[in-house]
This record gives sequence, C-alpha cells and structure tokens, in this order.
Amino acid sequence: MFRRSWRHAAAATAALLALTSITACSDDPAESQDLSENRAGAMDGYAVGTQFKATEPVSFPILYNNHPNYPLKNDWLFWSELKSRTNVTLEPVAVPLSDYEQKRSLLIGAGDAPLLLPKTYPSQEEPYVSSGAILPVSDYLNLMPNLSDKIEKWNLGPEIDTRRQDDGKFYLLPGLHEKAWHDYSLAVRTDILEELNLEVPKTWDDLYLVLKAMKAAYPDVYPFSDRFSQPNPGGNLLNILAFSYGLQGAGWNFQHTSWNAQAQKFEYTGATEQYKQMLQYLNKLVSEKLLDPESFTQTDDKARQKLANSQSFVISANAQAVVNDYRPDLSRNPDAKIAKIPLPIGPAGEINPADRLENGLMISSKARDSKNFVAMMQFVDWLFYSDEGQEFAKWGVEGQTFVRDAAGKPTLAPDVDIIGLNPGAPKHLQKDFGFYNGVFAYGGKPELVQAFFSEEEQQFQEVMNARAPRVVPPPHPFTDEEREQVSLWATPLRDHVYQATLQFILGQRDFAQWDAYLAELKSKNMDSYMETVTKAYERFRDKNN
Amino acid sequence: MSAPTTATSPAPDTTTPAPPVRARSQSWRRALRRDWQLYSLAILPLLFFLIFRYLPMLGNVIAFRRFQPGGSIFGEYWVGLRYVKMFLNDPTFWNVFNNTLILGGLTLLFCFPLPIILALLLNEVRTRRLKQFVQSVSYLPHFLSIVIVAAMVMQLLSMDGTVNQLVKAGDGEAIPFLQRPEWFRTIYVSSEVWQTVGWGTILYLAALTTIDEDLYEAARIDGANRWRQTWHVTLPGIRPTMVTLLILNIGAFMAVGFEKILLLYNPLTYPTADVISTYLFRMGFASSNFSYAAAIGLFEALIGLILVMSANLIARRTVGTSLW
Amino acid sequence: MVTVEAAERPTETPPRPRRRRGIQETRGYRVFQVANGIILTLVVIVTLYPFVNIVARSMSDEAYIIAGQVNLVPRGFTVDTYQLLMSDSLFWTNYRNTVFYTVTATVVSIVMTTCYAYVLSKKQLKGRGALVGIAVFTMFFSGGLIPNYVLVTSLGLKNSVWAIALPNAINVFNLLVMKAFFESLPVELEEAAAVDGLNTYGILLRIVLPLSKAIVATMVLFYAVAFWNSWFAAFLYMDRQELWPVTVYLRNLIAGATGAENVGAIAAADEVQAEATLKAVTIVLTTLPILLVYPFVQRYFVRGIMLGAVKG
Repeated sequence: MFRRSWRHAAAATAALLALTSITACSDDPAESQDLSENRAGAMDGYAVGTQFKATEPVSFPILYNNHPNYPLKNDWLFWSELKSRTNVTLEPVAVPLSDYEQKRSLLIGAGDAPLLLPKTYPSQEEPYVSSGAILPVSDYLNLMPNLSDKIEKWNLGPEIDTRRQDDGKFYLLPGLHEKAWHDYSLAVRTDILEELNLEVPKTWDDLYLVLKAMKAAYPDVYPFSDRFSQPNPGGNLLNILAFSYGLQGAGWNFQHTSWNAQAQKFEYTGATEQYKQMLQYLNKLVSEKLLDPESFTQTDDKARQKLANSQSFVISANAQAVVNDYRPDLSRNPDAKIAKIPLPIGPAGEINPADRLENGLMISSKARDSKNFVAMMQFVDWLFYSDEGQEFAKWGVEGQTFVRDAAGKPTLAPDVDIIGLNPGAPKHLQKDFGFYNGVFAYGGKPELVQAFFSEEEQQFQEVMNARAPRVVPPPHPFTDEEREQVSLWATPLRDHVYQATLQFILGQRDFAQWDAYLAELKSKNMDSYMETVTKAYERFRDKNN
Repeated sequence: MSAPTTATSPAPDTTTPAPPVRARSQSWRRALRRDWQLYSLAILPLLFFLIFRYLPMLGNVIAFRRFQPGGSIFGEYWVGLRYVKMFLNDPTFWNVFNNTLILGGLTLLFCFPLPIILALLLNEVRTRRLKQFVQSVSYLPHFLSIVIVAAMVMQLLSMDGTVNQLVKAGDGEAIPFLQRPEWFRTIYVSSEVWQTVGWGTILYLAALTTIDEDLYEAARIDGANRWRQTWHVTLPGIRPTMVTLLILNIGAFMAVGFEKILLLYNPLTYPTADVISTYLFRMGFASSNFSYAAAIGLFEALIGLILVMSANLIARRTVGTSLW
Repeated sequence: MVTVEAAERPTETPPRPRRRRGIQETRGYRVFQVANGIILTLVVIVTLYPFVNIVARSMSDEAYIIAGQVNLVPRGFTVDTYQLLMSDSLFWTNYRNTVFYTVTATVVSIVMTTCYAYVLSKKQLKGRGALVGIAVFTMFFSGGLIPNYVLVTSLGLKNSVWAIALPNAINVFNLLVMKAFFESLPVELEEAAAVDGLNTYGILLRIVLPLSKAIVATMVLFYAVAFWNSWFAAFLYMDRQELWPVTVYLRNLIAGATGAENVGAIAAADEVQAEATLKAVTIVLTTLPILLVYPFVQRYFVRGIMLGAVKG
C-alpha cells in the first residue's frame, strides 16, 4: 500500500508542478464557433418542439445536489425514462445538499468538475469567470432554441443582461420564470385579528396599527417576534422591508447597491434615505414594544416556541413554514389560526419584488472539447427549457405518475403523492420516481410552477402577480481586478451596515448619529466602492449601448 | 540500544577543527549503524508527513500569486507581498487579530488548568464505580455537536432564559446577553470550559496511572499529608504531560473555536467576538479570495510557530521538560 | 511477552490496598472528601442535564419540544422518529461505513503514531530534534484545501477508505502526548531487555507497549472519536452516497435545512425541515456507540500501575 502511494506521490508531485504551467484558456472567437468536431450524437434539425434524442447513446457527468428528503436512487423512473426519450445517461456525482457550494467550488478549483454544474444561483458563477473554467454559454445560444425562444417570448432580456460579465457574455444558464414568484412574507394569527375585529394589514403602516391593537389587548406579549435571523440578523424581515421601500435587498439578500431609477444611478443601499426610514419604522416597533428585540438574534426554534405558546402573533413566513411549522406548532391550541398575508405595501407601492431568474446550470469549459458537445447543449436545452422537458422533470410520465383531465391539464396519478396532495398514496413523486427534483425541475410557466401549490398559496400568488414587477437594475459587471478589490471592501462595509442597522433598530444608537454612521461608511471605502460600481456600469453601458 | 552515549560519540572538536563535515557524516554513519532499527520505525511516518503534509504546502505559494478559482492551483502570476500588505493595512484585520489573542488567551487561562484540577479531584475519589461514573459523565459534552451547544447557550441566555430568570429573581433587570459585546467573552469561555474540561482530564488520568506507588509510600513515611503528597509526588509525576499540553495549547492559541463563534456571534457583538477565522470566513464567502486567505493563513501559522518555539524554549530552560 | 507478564502479575495488586486502607485520615482530608463529593456531584449535574434533555427530546412529540416543555422526561412519548430513521436503508449503509472507516483509520493511526512517538522518545537518538521539528511544523503550516484535494485525487485514493485514513494518519497533538508518555517510562526495563538480547522491535512490542496500555487506550479513544465524528474528508472524497459515513448523512439532514433557507429565494421542492426530534434522535444514535465502547477502554486507565515491576 505505502510503496504504491509513494510512486503515486511522485506522479502527483509531477502533476502538481505541471499544473503551474497551464495558463488560462486562450479564447479564440473564431475557433469557438467551429463545431464540426463536436457533433457526435447531435440532432441536425433540432428546434423548438423537437423531442431531443441523441443519435447515439451518450452520457454526461453531472454534479448532483443530494437532497436528504429524497436521496438519490439509481432505479428512479426519471433516469430510465430520460434514457429512453433522449438516449442520454447522466452520471451523477452525489454531493450532500448541506455543503454543495463548497464542494462545487473545490471541484472547479481543482480542475475536477463534472461537465454539468446545476443548482448555481445567479452571481455564484462570477468568481469562476476570469479563470476560464466555465463556458461562456451565451456564445452557444444558437444551439439552444428553446432557451432563446423563452427569453424572447417572456421578455427576459433585461434580466439576462444582469448576468452579463465584463466581456458582454453570460456564463450561467439560469432558470427562467414567466411570472415572478414571490414566497416570503409575514404570517399572522388570523383568529386574533378576528377576535380584535381587525382587518388583515395591507401596508406596513396597517401592520403597525394591528400590532398596537394586539399589544393593547395583550399587554404582556410582544405581538411580533421574528425568525430567520441566523446567521444574518433579520434575514427575511429586513429584506422584504427593503423591497417595500424600493431598495434592492437587505438582510439575507444583502445588496450593497440599489438602482435609483429616477436619478439613473446606483446608490449605496445602507446609506440611502429609504434605508434610514425603514430602520426608523422598525425602531418605532421596538421602542413601543411591538417587536421583540430578540427577533434579530434568536434561533428559529425560539421564535417558533414563542408563536406556539401565544407569546407572539406575527412572524416571518413562507408557504412551507406555515404548513410545516406554524400550524403543527399551534395544533394544541384549537382556536389558533394562522395564515401568510400578502407582502405588506410600503413607500415603493404595489410591487412584486421577486426575480424572474432562478438557480440554473454552469457548464465546465472542458465540455467544449468533447465530441458530444453539441448534443449536450441540445440536451440541456430540451430538459431544462422546453415545455416538454420541464413538464417531464416536474410531473413525470403520463399514465404512471400523472394523468391528464379532459382539458389536457395534468393531475397526479391517484397512487402518487407529493406535498400531501394525495394523502395516503403508496408512492411518492420525489422519493420513488425522482421527479419534481430540485436539480432538474424549476422555473417555467406559472401553471407549471404553481402546479402543486395549495389553494391558499395560489390566492397569495394571484395577489402578488397583480402587482407590478420590480425595475431590473442595469448590469455593472466588474473586471477581475475590480472584483477582487471590491470584494475586500465589501465585507467590512456589510459588517458595519449590519451592526449599525441593529443598533439603530434596538435604540442602542440614536438617529441623530445617522450622519456619523455615514461618515463611518465612508471611512470604510464606501465612496470608492460606489465609484467602482458606477465606472463598471458606465463602461458596460457605453460598450454595449 | 541506549548503552553507549557520550563516551564514544562526537569528541572531534577538541582534537582537530579541520573536517567537521566528515566528522558529522561519520557520526551519522555510526548513529545509523547503531540505531537503524529505530530509524526504520520512522520511515512510514516520515513518508506520511512528506506526502500528505509537506507536498500540499506548495499550494501556499498563492499567498504571493494571484489565484483565480478554476485556474492553475498555484495561481496565475506573481504579485509579491500585495496580499500581505492588504491585510496589514486593513483596520478590521487588526481588530479581529486582537480579539483572537484575547479569546485565545482567556481560553488558555481557563481551559488549561481546569482539567488538571478536575483530574486531581477525580483521583481522590475512592469508590471506583463513582469515579468511573463521574468520569464518563464529564466526557459527554465533548460528544455534543457544536450546533446543539450553541442552541443551548442561546436558550439559557435569552431574555426569559434561566440566567435572566435568576437575574430577575435577584431584583435585576433582564440583560440581552447575546446582544452585548461586553458579555461575549464570558459566554464563550464558559461554554468552552463546560465542553472541554471533562474530556481534557483523560490525558492526565492516563498520566496519573504511571506514578509509582512507592513514591507515595516514601512521602508518607516522611510524614507528608495528602496535600503535600499531591504537591510533591502527583504534580511532578504528571509534569511532562502538563508541559506538553501547555506548549501545545500555547501553539494552538490562535485557532479559537471557529464554528462556535460563528453560531454565537452577531453583528452587535462583532467588536469582541469576531476572530480571524470568522472574518476570513465572511471574506471568503463573499469573494472566494483564496490568495488573501492564504496570506493571512501563513501569518497565523508563523505566529503559532513562534509561540510554540518560545514556549518550548522557556519550558526547557525552566522545568527541563520540552517537546524536543 | 512471557517475561513481562511474569513480572507484572505478582506486583499488580499489592500496592493499592496498602494505600487505600493503610493510613489514618486527618480531619482536613475528610472535609476535603466531602467537598470533593459535592463538587463532583455538581459537575455531574451540570454536564448530565443537557444530555438527559436530548434523550427526552428524542422521544417527545414535536409540538411539546417547540413549546419548550420538554426537560427531563419525554412528553407525548413516541419512538416514531427512531423508527423513521432506522427504517432508512441508507442510514444503515452509512452507519456500517462509519464503523468500517473508524476501525481502519484508527488502526493505521495507532500504528503510525506509536512507531513515530517511540522513535521521538529516544533522547539520545541523533537527528531527533529534526524529526520532532518535521512533525511540529505541520501543526501550523498546512496546504490549502485545493492542493490536498488534487493530491488525494491523483494518488487514486478517492472513493476508498484510504482517502480518510491516510491523509489523517498522524495527529501531531496525539503524537506528542504519546511521546511524552514514553519518555516518562523508566528506562531500566528496556535496558534490561536489551541486555537479554531483544532488538528494538522486540522491546517496543514486548516491553514498552504492555507498559503503555493506558496511553494506547487513550489514543484509541481519541482517534476513534475523531474519526467517528469526522465528516469533512468523506464529504470531499466520496462521490457516491453509498460510501458516505453516517456523519455526512446526518449533517445533510440537519445542516441542510439552515443552509438552504439562507439562500432566500429557493425552489419549493427544496425546502428542508429538520425537526427538533430528528436532531435529537440523530445525536443520540451517533453518540451512543462511543459511550458504549468507552467503559471497555476505560478499564485500561485504571490498571496501569505496573510500574512497580521496575523497582520490584
């Protein structure tokens, strides 16, 4: 064993040293379109509406995000049906969901990445752009008719542009939504509202009045005690509030910059007047003892505990949390009723803040050298972007996992369950068949996205969909050097914004010191940061008109 | 094997100062001939260190080269001391550096002596079953995941938690402990004590078994009471273990518990709670700047090495025991 | 072996009773004993409570846990979660892997550490300082994650137990502790054995190791616990879930929830809820084996008093 290791080690040293000499891929644009060597298995007349089927059996390695609720099984119908429809075998490299991103980063860094890298959220591709490890997929849109079609039909141009890098190309194949799908909001004890004769709050100001009324009736409780505070304090609350004040994001969706559409320029989110106003709003809630000051540091379990014991009535929520957490938690209180309310409206008016881009795929550059490259791009296009592929990934196989009603609308087969839609059914769409898998099924038309939503959630979506979409900020891609510099400024800046945010909210710092806070941000290179952003924005605007 | 020592070995210094190289190689040859069996035992471990420890260290070169994720693992081009200068000029770095020293120092101050005391107390227990029971129980915290420990700490210290109930019972005002920077160090060190002290006794208890019973007998004959026996027999008996652990703890001083701090701190407590590793984590998370991290890592390692070498030197000079 | 056993047996017990019963106790010492008892009882209570609490949680109804009503006794007693977890075949596959990896890696580690620690304990050995230095240096300087990964991959160790056992074969902390122990052993026995014609290997196997049961047992415990609880190496080097140890399985179950929620906008299909009960059950099930093994290891601590053999 050890002797062998030694010989291997010598080889490994050589390999390590050899790697030094490999420089980043030289990009020859003329070369990138000559695909004659890479057409093995590809279809000739592949277009929208074509069922992709490789002309010879091919297989592609894929990084697989293994979900604990439906661990990977090799005998899933998904794999076998995929094989028979497309002649493609996927070779999954299983990675636990808990640490997926770390392993992906390691594999790319070590040059050992599989060809397909799914579950990549927008902006996660950016660190890999400059090394040339990731394929600039925008160069190959002609191989992906369904993707091009959806971008055009759903008018996703501005969103896609935000993914463009300094070279004008984009490197991520994002999931696409026809309609924005917003999930996070607040959940409110509706039985308490009824008891106190209150309406469901529509705006943040309504919410304040509702909380006040609750406090008046139950002086011993903090009516609002929030969760989702770890590791980012006020993760959800700050974020949805920032949306409502017209900012780009805060909390767990911390955004350094927000686009001011009127002035046509970027501003530092944490230094804007709107940000100050939303902190003043939260400070008012805390100082009048309407919002539990522990909201920003407590664990989720603690927050749920307070809700369960009627020590609080309002809490951050998404659709799943209401069904999986709050209702079971409250089950021992027969009167308790809780529901997710439509996102309260703030100064920015009635907007739906959700992004229409979802997580998606990166493709390793080395795929370009494969003789099956074209077939792979066609396959990706079919599975992730065609209506048929999306329906297959979500619903499965007609007659086995779902059936169609007279109007052609799919419904679950009676013996198949998902999210409790067919309670007691012996088989599970995810666990036993491998469909509705987060790696393969996301985005699409609203009918598809909302297929498994409860009636309650569909009503929520109806309200949200009636609201105007948010303005998409213009792209401002950094060069490699800029990104390195900006990233070193970013962490201290963000830390300071978080810290001051909590101090202002909790009343540990007076708003009279707001200007001092701005000066502190300046001393932490806020101005240089914004200068770089503006420069990048203008450069991109001028270059790409 | 241990028989021939100074008498037969070096000596050449006095006779001729001329060929020190030959003399050294000669004595090496002699040492090899005499102790080749011992050296042979070291071959596999040395191979291990060479392959699995020293070879990957080549990667640290990226502290001085620009690394791009997905590019060469040894970086793209030389940047000299750019990353070193970067962190030396970063005020946040010095803040977290100080925090690291203070938390590391406090941890050392409490977590080093307490296991010794507990081990000595356990050693005085005369019912064997009781001793075993206490021992086994005191190891339990070591097995709890840090996530659970952190959750328990937060539960205890919340506004309506046990600690604040006591505070309120004593006519005090409830304190939001986890939001107060001045409390963080106390909280961290006490939870660390709770978690590590029991497990830390194992080595001392193992060392205590090696102490010669006759020494106690002799001390008793000299009229020493239990206290003096402990002082003159027990403590000197476990001194090599104590010194080894002290030196190692001093060396590991900079590596304060990353995961626990990550779970317990929040932006309000950054002024006291943020340490090098957590700062690097936040830096890395946002920017995947491996070069910068490597530069700080080397700096940290250098400090650790200097600390351990000085501690070793001092230990050798003062108590005569040392790592090498 | 024979020589030592013969020397060991007659002397093993006599000193102990002399010490325990022989002396009359001063009053101060009796006070001390009482105080000691109180202190240790407190230690026991403080450390035991959280653990009892976890066992209670693992057998309680979720609603009671969330309401914060489970302390020492399970409320709404149920073992459903145990059944749920134990009915998953992957859990058992992974559990078996953990046992296999732990045993293999511990054996490798003990052999390597003992050999090197023994060499380092020989004060007169030429080049000893350098040998110690080689080890100590690695406590502080290490390669980054990526070089390590490239190394293990190019050695062809991926997806095998060696990817876990070899890169972590020697823990320098353990090495130095063991070295300190060897140094504290009396040299007379070894010298006598050398005179009797035993070579170095013989001395190590027949003289030193039998005298070092306490430290070897400690090291087995240290290494085994570390390997049992480790997940990172397996996470890095195991590409198939059938090869994962149970720690990766559990981490995915527990940490997966928080990790995913932080992303904010995430597909509904991917919400994970780690239930409080589930967390408790997993902790109990992973910790239990180590606790069960421990008393057997502990025996060795107590009977390490054969040093009398040297003098006697």
